[in-house]
Amino acid sequence: MKLAFVLRMAWRDWRSGELGLLLIALTVAVATVTSISLFVDRLQQALVSESADFLAADRRISSTRAIPDGFREEAAARGLRQADTMSFPSMVFVRDDTSQLVSVKAVSEQYPLRGVVRVTDEPFTAGEVTSDVPARGQVWLDARLFPALGIALGDEVEVGVARFKVSKVVVQEPDRGGSMYDLGPRLLMNLADVPSTEVVQPGSRIVYRLLLSGDAAALEDLKGVLPLEPNYRWQGIRESSPAIGDALSRAESFLLLGGLLGVLLAGVAVALSAHRYARRHYDHVGILKTLGATPTQIMYAYVAILLVIGVSAVVLGLLIGAALHVLIVLALQSIIPVALPMPSMRPVFLGAATGLICALAFALPPLLHLKNISPMRVIRRDLGGAPRSQYMSYVAALGGSLGLLIWYSGSLWLTAWTLVGTAAALLIFGALAKVLLRGGRVVGMQAGSGWRLALAGLQRRSGENTAQILIFGLAIMLLLILFLLRSSLLEEWRNELPDNAPNHFILNIVPEEVDALTDMLEESTERRGDVVPMIRGRVLAVNGIGSRTWEQQHRGVDAPGPSLRSERNLTWAADLAEDNTVVDGSWWPADETRALVSLEDEYAAELGLSVGDTLSFDIAGRMVDVEVASLRSLDWESMRPNFFIIFSPAVLADFPATFMTSFYLPTDQKRFLNMLLSNFPTITVIEVDAIIAQVQRIIDRVTQVVELVLALVVASGCLVLIASIQASRDARMGEHALVRTLGGSRGLIRGSLLAEFGILGIFAGVVAVVGAEITVAILQVQVFELSFALHPWLWVVGPLFGCVLILLVGMFGTRAIVSTPPWAVLRESEI
Amino acid sequence: MRAEQIAKVVPTAEGELAILAGIDLEINAGESVAVVGASGSGKTTLLGILAGLDQPTSGRVLLADHQLTSLDEEERARVRGEHVGFVFQTFQLLGSLTALENVMLPGELRGDANAEKDALELLEKVGLSERSRHYPRQLSGGEQQRVAVARAFASRPTVLFADEPTGNLDTATGQRIIELLFDLNKEFATTLVLVTHDDRLAQRCDRIVEIEAGRIV
Repeated sequence: MKLAFVLRMAWRDWRSGELGLLLIALTVAVATVTSISLFVDRLQQALVSESADFLAADRRISSTRAIPDGFREEAAARGLRQADTMSFPSMVFVRDDTSQLVSVKAVSEQYPLRGVVRVTDEPFTAGEVTSDVPARGQVWLDARLFPALGIALGDEVEVGVARFKVSKVVVQEPDRGGSMYDLGPRLLMNLADVPSTEVVQPGSRIVYRLLLSGDAAALEDLKGVLPLEPNYRWQGIRESSPAIGDALSRAESFLLLGGLLGVLLAGVAVALSAHRYARRHYDHVGILKTLGATPTQIMYAYVAILLVIGVSAVVLGLLIGAALHVLIVLALQSIIPVALPMPSMRPVFLGAATGLICALAFALPPLLHLKNISPMRVIRRDLGGAPRSQYMSYVAALGGSLGLLIWYSGSLWLTAWTLVGTAAALLIFGALAKVLLRGGRVVGMQAGSGWRLALAGLQRRSGENTAQILIFGLAIMLLLILFLLRSSLLEEWRNELPDNAPNHFILNIVPEEVDALTDMLEESTERRGDVVPMIRGRVLAVNGIGSRTWEQQHRGVDAPGPSLRSERNLTWAADLAEDNTVVDGSWWPADETRALVSLEDEYAAELGLSVGDTLSFDIAGRMVDVEVASLRSLDWESMRPNFFIIFSPAVLADFPATFMTSFYLPTDQKRFLNMLLSNFPTITVIEVDAIIAQVQRIIDRVTQVVELVLALVVASGCLVLIASIQASRDARMGEHALVRTLGGSRGLIRGSLLAEFGILGIFAGVVAVVGAEITVAILQVQVFELSFALHPWLWVVGPLFGCVLILLVGMFGTRAIVSTPPWAVLRESEI
Repeated sequence: MRAEQIAKVVPTAEGELAILAGIDLEINAGESVAVVGASGSGKTTLLGILAGLDQPTSGRVLLADHQLTSLDEEERARVRGEHVGFVFQTFQLLGSLTALENVMLPGELRGDANAEKDALELLEKVGLSERSRHYPRQLSGGEQQRVAVARAFASRPTVLFADEPTGNLDTATGQRIIELLFDLNKEFATTLVLVTHDDRLAQRCDRIVEIEAGRIV
């Protein structure tokens, strides 16, 4: 058979509208995958690079030891950009002997590799971006150091034995949020000046960092060759800022899942429209065969038609997908300040492959069956009907989707759970649909004629309707799953960082200042946290064993994580904080008089401590023995003051403690800090508003993307519904034409169709809700690591949604049934 | 064309059912034969087997020097394309194709360069050249059957099989189709095998073969 003839056949099929739905379904599959993956690809790159501001680099290597030159040489050999920083606490003095503890950060000329440093000439004003670092002999100070030290720009300060001129106010540096424990006010200096200060001595608490940026592959390669363990920590955004890392990972999972479901839905739509196309061509093929078309010719013809459609769908889908993604980028441009990097070729390949795999796995099998249609069908309708076995098409569809899903998500785990959820849902759906249909028959006996006709119709095609409920249910279920995951993800993120969370912390409040300070905060700020006592201390022994020995026995000396011996912030409390949960032992009563302590569970686990152990503390030079009464889990990302170690109130009541508190201050009221620090010069204020704002900005952006993906998936879902209704349209048409020739009015037909689709929709909604609840429960717990919760409102909304959706789509899809004269239907159905 | 000891047995819920039992039939080139019989007598099944659309359970069919019963579906289709034309009771036009395209199909399947020209000539012969761009649904039953007749002759068949060609038409229209069929049959010197209930139609044929319960009587 000549190509020209095949193309002509394709054109004639297209003209008759037979191929339209198949082409649309395939195109939507390609466009969905292309646009989602193009956007995700670029956004991921952008988000990662924006998040990299948190590190001031793409990756960094941190250590308490100096970074070996060998590391720098390896990095340079890979064409990576580098910068060095050193951070350490130190005292800064001014001439009249006023002093203040500061967090010194010494940086090399290349700093920062990502993000920007902002400076200003007047404390507590908005800064301007600078590309410089402090010149040698100069330092830049945090705004709050100016009132605390009583100095102005141009004055001199001493760090160690060296004197420096204060030349700028440092407002922001990208990696300030790197650690909540690097909290003193900032002093930024040139790395080359560090030796002259002589503050770096053996035993000094210094963190050395080598900042790196450049090609992702080169970075990964470098990570592989450096002897990092156990002294050097390799940090990406995920390791250094778990809050953002988590948000990114979850968003990625969600986007992938969304894309995955979009592909599945489009695949189902493709399969449905291909089956309908094939069924409508049984007679067609029979006639062609009587005219001398051989099975091979038939096969080639339909494969060729599918190829033409597949290639057109790929081209169209890629174009639409690219256009869609450009629209998305344009729409979000104002909130994506970073320039999006050019996408890689992967999304394009992914889109094209999706189209071809969908065509092959979902559409080809039913079309291949056509070659087996017997030409006898033309004269003996009862002979040579539908091909017997279709298991091959299920195997192909399953294999195709599996391959596609794994490739697309790059995650076996996510794919496996999605498939397990789908398979379980199918089983449950099948059983449930049967029960519902049987129940409907009983009710139908008592109903009016439209309803009776509808229920009779539903029950007569019970096999087909079970299948339809399955498909509708599956589509609605997937939508519900996405919707639920979206809302629980967003809620989780919002809960993590409430809008009005405290964004400023005050440390070093002496007891005499507490009342006056509280009054001032109450007057000028809207929300405040509790005033919490704080005292420094360290563990000397556990159960009588020296802490060094204990630590060696339980995890080795140089292992990462909190050290038992280092000095820590301790507090005491009568009541358990609301975001803490006791996981072992029990919290003490408010009037507890024994010396007890409660530990954070991960801290305890790493150091091999458990309930019942006795810890000996050195607190302000005095020895205190306490028993571990409970272990707590807590949320370190809550932006509330949290402590590894909490004492029962009786123990520390007589110790000289300082206090800390937190409050919320909007950006436009920052000058209040100046007043605060003038009144209480010895307190330390920590501003975390910039960090919170940055985290929130990233989460907001991720949220918008998530919503967009949801919209795309909804579009694929509707397509499945339309395809499914189209697939059963011929049978319905014939039946209803018969009813009308027998005297049924148009109103009766419309009524019975309404009832039929309504009932189908409600049933599908019910099974969708069951499936969604199960799948979401599994996904939330297993993949997203969120807590499990049922959604009672869903049981109302789901069936209602199903009913309305299928009614709308169904009535739209079958408007021809109602308006076509019955004779036309019956005549056409003979052909 | 020769059929020898044709039997067709199909499995049913009540056991095996013999639709045809030992049919012997020889039809000469250019002859016209009417196969008549009651509903369910097996005449349509016989037509399908003679035309190579279906395989008998046992027996041989020879058509234009091809032993159809020893060919596979691929080869039978080729024989049909070269030697056989069909006219059906329900017309069997492709609804998505115009009248002209329906008539072009056999030529296109063979790869004829002149398929369109030939088809137009045939449509002219059946008096439908004006309606060549119309779709089947825009044509009356008689017109559709005329298109079907034109298509049947488009493959220049050696044998034309007709299954109740007037069964779906009123008497007057049916009469016109019969005339057309026999005129073209004469013009193309085609062997004609038709299955019918219609006595007038049967009487026009050179020979009448009556089938009862799967046997020729």
